[in-house]
Amino acid sequence: MLSLGATNSASIVQAIRRAGGDSYLIERSQQLTDVESLVIPGVANVRFLLSALDERSLRIPILRVIDGGIPVLGICAGFQALFHRSDEAPLVKGLGVFDGVVIQLRGPKSPHTGWNWVESVCSSIECGWAYFAHSFAPPAQSPQTIATTEHGVLFTSIARRGNVLGVQFHPERSGRYGAQFLENFIAMCTG
Amino acid sequence: MLAKRIVACLDISNGRVVKGLRFENLRDMGDPVERARRYCEEGIDELVMLDVSATLQGRIASLETVYRISRNIDVPLIVGGGVRDEADVLRLLDAGADKVAVNTTAVNDPLCLQRLYERYGSQCIVLSVDAREVEGQYELATHSATVRVGRNALDWAREAQDLGAGEVLLTSIERDGTQAGYDLKLISDFSRALTIPVVASGGAVDADSFAKALIAGADGALGASVFHNGALTIPAVKRHCKQRGLEIRPC
Repeated sequence: MLSLGATNSASIVQAIRRAGGDSYLIERSQQLTDVESLVIPGVANVRFLLSALDERSLRIPILRVIDGGIPVLGICAGFQALFHRSDEAPLVKGLGVFDGVVIQLRGPKSPHTGWNWVESVCSSIECGWAYFAHSFAPPAQSPQTIATTEHGVLFTSIARRGNVLGVQFHPERSGRYGAQFLENFIAMCTG
Repeated sequence: MLAKRIVACLDISNGRVVKGLRFENLRDMGDPVERARRYCEEGIDELVMLDVSATLQGRIASLETVYRISRNIDVPLIVGGGVRDEADVLRLLDAGADKVAVNTTAVNDPLCLQRLYERYGSQCIVLSVDAREVEGQYELATHSATVRVGRNALDWAREAQDLGAGEVLLTSIERDGTQAGYDLKLISDFSRALTIPVVASGGAVDADSFAKALIAGADGALGASVFHNGALTIPAVKRHCKQRGLEIRPC
């Protein structure tokens, strides 16, 4: 798991352990050469996250991990960083794995905080209640969208492109639904 | 649709759950980990851990208690108590907190909210507001309600929202621990004035009191004594709120 500071990585480490997996924190690009899977957690915002990647020269090593077919999971802002671009940081290029531009939510209350319904639009993923905490979100029309959620507008709550998964909610804090999601990701890493 | 949240609060002192009346006369209410696990299994939507002696003793909330609670739960954990700066927030996150509540420090130095926002994002920053109605105005208090600030609490919440706070944990000092029902006017006034979510605290008594607080505009309703003393179970509260037509996550 990438450790960029300023995030709840401790919660994620514990949740991965409860789901039967094991994780360790990495900070330097050299450490990315022999990973079996990679989690990009959510930090403050996409601008902070992408500039942290650039400061530590992590962008190319991450793209190499992705292109190498190694399972990758982006959570919250870590998910948004996998899109082409975000309205939150219009001048910074995203990692470009998922198509589309991350938009600002204009729901009744912002940040979108709490439990909301994840509606699957593909047979490989279950519907369920998950915990969200964010102000920006990927658009619902991305070709890689596999589940959507509604808060003022419809947005993508889970996307997948081959070995890369992204979730807007927090699987580490989403009860049984989140635990099941992490177990499935771990199965994808080990199988 | 976004569900309304039922929240349980663990007030912590010396590693134990405590609960008082209007912030005073704290009584022992058991082991925090045991309580956290049980509330989680019953279907709580979020847990709050407030170290009520931290600020008064000039220290940060107990990291060991945060860690012990956090590793045993699978719902979000808000932690508050004695947070002084950005480094304290990181300590709490590293111990297992998902969001951090600030009160006294933010009142003394409002710009700290902006610094916290820039580093951690507003979704991580909860503003804890302890308010008391005095002659039609909401008066703000700090230091576990022992210090009167002489500021309008609603104006302060608005300013904090603009500086980057992502949520308000709103406690009615007069109702804290009384089981006399939430202060619905306070909840309604704050919810209408703010665009960030409001979690209401102080006065929970029966299942319908939760429903009333949520209907008054709160995004979450918090209970402590009523859950600790066994007067209410979380499934009973959630069932009732659902019957009242509120969107609720099933247990």
